[in-house]
Amino acid sequence: MNPIEEIVARKQVIVCAGSGGVGKTTTAAAIALQAAVMGRKTVVLTIDPAKRLASSLGLKDLSNEPSKVAPRKFQSASLKPKGELHAMMLDTKSTFDEVVMQYAPSREQAERIIANRFYKNISGTLSGTQEYMAMEKLYELHAQGAYDLLVIDTPPTRNALDFLDAPKRMNDFFESKVLRWFLMPYMKAGGGLMRVANVAATTFLKVVKRIVGGDVLEDTAEFFGNLEGMYEGFKQRARDVAALLRSDETAFVIVTSPSEDSVREATFFAARLNEEKLPFGALVVNRVHPKLGDGIDVKPRHLSKLEKGGKDARMLAKLLDNEEAFMRVVNLEEKNLDSLSRKVPRHKWVRVPYLEREAVDFPGLVAIADQLFGAPDTHVASH
Amino acid sequence: MQVDEFLAPRILIVSGKGGVGKTTVAAALALVAARSGRTVCIAEVDRKGTLPRMFRAGTLTYQPREMSPGVWGMNIVPEDALAEYLDVQYHMRRISRIFTSTQFVDYITTAAPGLKDILTLGKIWYLEQDRGARFDTIVVDAPAAGHMLTFLSAPMGLSDALRVGPVRRQAEWLLDMLRDPARSRVHLVTLPEEMPVAETLETTAQLGTKVGVASGAVFANGVYSPLLSTPERETLVDLVATGDLTILATEAKGAGLTLDEDDMQALVGYARFLEARRSIQTTHLRKLKKGVDEPIVELPFLFSAGLELPDIETLADVIEDEVADL
Repeated sequence: MNPIEEIVARKQVIVCAGSGGVGKTTTAAAIALQAAVMGRKTVVLTIDPAKRLASSLGLKDLSNEPSKVAPRKFQSASLKPKGELHAMMLDTKSTFDEVVMQYAPSREQAERIIANRFYKNISGTLSGTQEYMAMEKLYELHAQGAYDLLVIDTPPTRNALDFLDAPKRMNDFFESKVLRWFLMPYMKAGGGLMRVANVAATTFLKVVKRIVGGDVLEDTAEFFGNLEGMYEGFKQRARDVAALLRSDETAFVIVTSPSEDSVREATFFAARLNEEKLPFGALVVNRVHPKLGDGIDVKPRHLSKLEKGGKDARMLAKLLDNEEAFMRVVNLEEKNLDSLSRKVPRHKWVRVPYLEREAVDFPGLVAIADQLFGAPDTHVASH
Repeated sequence: MQVDEFLAPRILIVSGKGGVGKTTVAAALALVAARSGRTVCIAEVDRKGTLPRMFRAGTLTYQPREMSPGVWGMNIVPEDALAEYLDVQYHMRRISRIFTSTQFVDYITTAAPGLKDILTLGKIWYLEQDRGARFDTIVVDAPAAGHMLTFLSAPMGLSDALRVGPVRRQAEWLLDMLRDPARSRVHLVTLPEEMPVAETLETTAQLGTKVGVASGAVFANGVYSPLLSTPERETLVDLVATGDLTILATEAKGAGLTLDEDDMQALVGYARFLEARRSIQTTHLRKLKKGVDEPIVELPFLFSAGLELPDIETLADVIEDEVADL
């Protein structure tokens, strides 16, 4: 059975992960589309979709709530979905605001946090926030229980593993003792402690203040002051998310391209899933050059003879040249992918070749879905 | 345009969407500079390790290292840049080491998100000023396009936030460096595909208005070269339409080569594949040309899945030729 079809039928959460530029978003959307066709009420959480892909799913702007993809989209592609497809784009800032609202002891405290400048910086730009919030949103959608299947795209980080560590990293960040110690002079109650802090810290703070300005340190102190009493809630949530990802309900789909860099990243990722006992579902290899034939054994003497021939012979020489070049790419890609077969058994692989159209509209997604749910990998290396 | 003119601005900032070959183009530009007799340093801003692999050099650190003749590489780590800054500016070497090794820097840079960028740009400025350094050209393998705009805007934020003082003055030095087309240029890398082109159009529009940095060229990477002439293509189309490819086998036989049916299908299949990819690329190249004012340098698709120095050399050859035609 096709490994993706299998997880779509059995799981409740599918996480698509891989390094940037390998087609994670498209893969997630295509899996969700086909899941809906198969009869599951599905929601796909995309992170940063291309404009045309977003509009093909009916996503015009960030609403941070799922909206249903119109059935006529399916009809126009001659499909009759037995289930439903809902889609949303993650809005990191609103998700973070919702989390703060939920865990703050009072509305006033939540509002103070949300108005704080340091908070605005974290919720907008801190690396890791997007990953953290993707996990939060995933958890929230799962807890609501309104869908049979959640398919989630992960943020375009250089490192495919970042999102796994994001909740813990954020919690460590909030709870740092080092930071508290440094900020003591700025904390309201600790004004008199400036003298107690050692000379090094004082000197250093002076310099930092000169570089970034005093307000920045005050904002930071205020933010952490307001966060008191909320840590336990954050931590509990991070534990819950981790438990969900580890559970039987979840499957990870590793997305890669055959390029050396992304294969390396995918190999690390597969090893990491294994170490952490996270449930692996399938490997998707996107942007593969198709393998046609078994390679033609052309010698330079054949080519030089053809090049001196008539117009058909000259055309044939070009065709042979072209075939040789593509076979070279196919073999190199296969060589890159070989290292992955030691981590991921081939029957869990699905290849999506370069198609003759781009997957930037609904019919394009349908074409990708056809590939993803087709026969499992039969393209076994000839060597 | 002469290569010398192209390389007159000493700082080349190379950026583009993830996966488009930014580092490859940065490396090729560095080779072009090295060939012209310049000593060049490629600075990785967001460590990823692709660059040293291309040159078969070990991991790059804050200390520049020669990776191949005339081509140096380094990794600008904001923490190291901060330590160096504190040392040079305040003679705080020992203290700064203690603090930059803790998580503290993470918090401060979160509190002031532009700070990491400022520190990185500060180091580039420092290299450009030639104090103890020796580089004629500095190629910056910059963050991906979206982040690049934030990266380059950082000094503006700082000079707005601070009214007076030494840091404000230093922020202005960085702005002067970035906004002087004779000193810095941004080169964007893209692929002739939907998303990368759309992003390039957005970025070029914002570069001037939002950041005020002059752009250099736009590099369209991975462009397939045409295979068949128009009459040849027509012949092939007719051939496929008849469903009889024996003429190919006959021609091959004349040259002493045996082709079976699968071989012929593969020949036609790959020719069609190339045509299909080329037609997608042509559409997007047209959009790109219409949408940007910058000169476009087309770089060929290389039929090799792993990029090594010979491939970079090939791209450097193409860049030299294309720059001469600009």
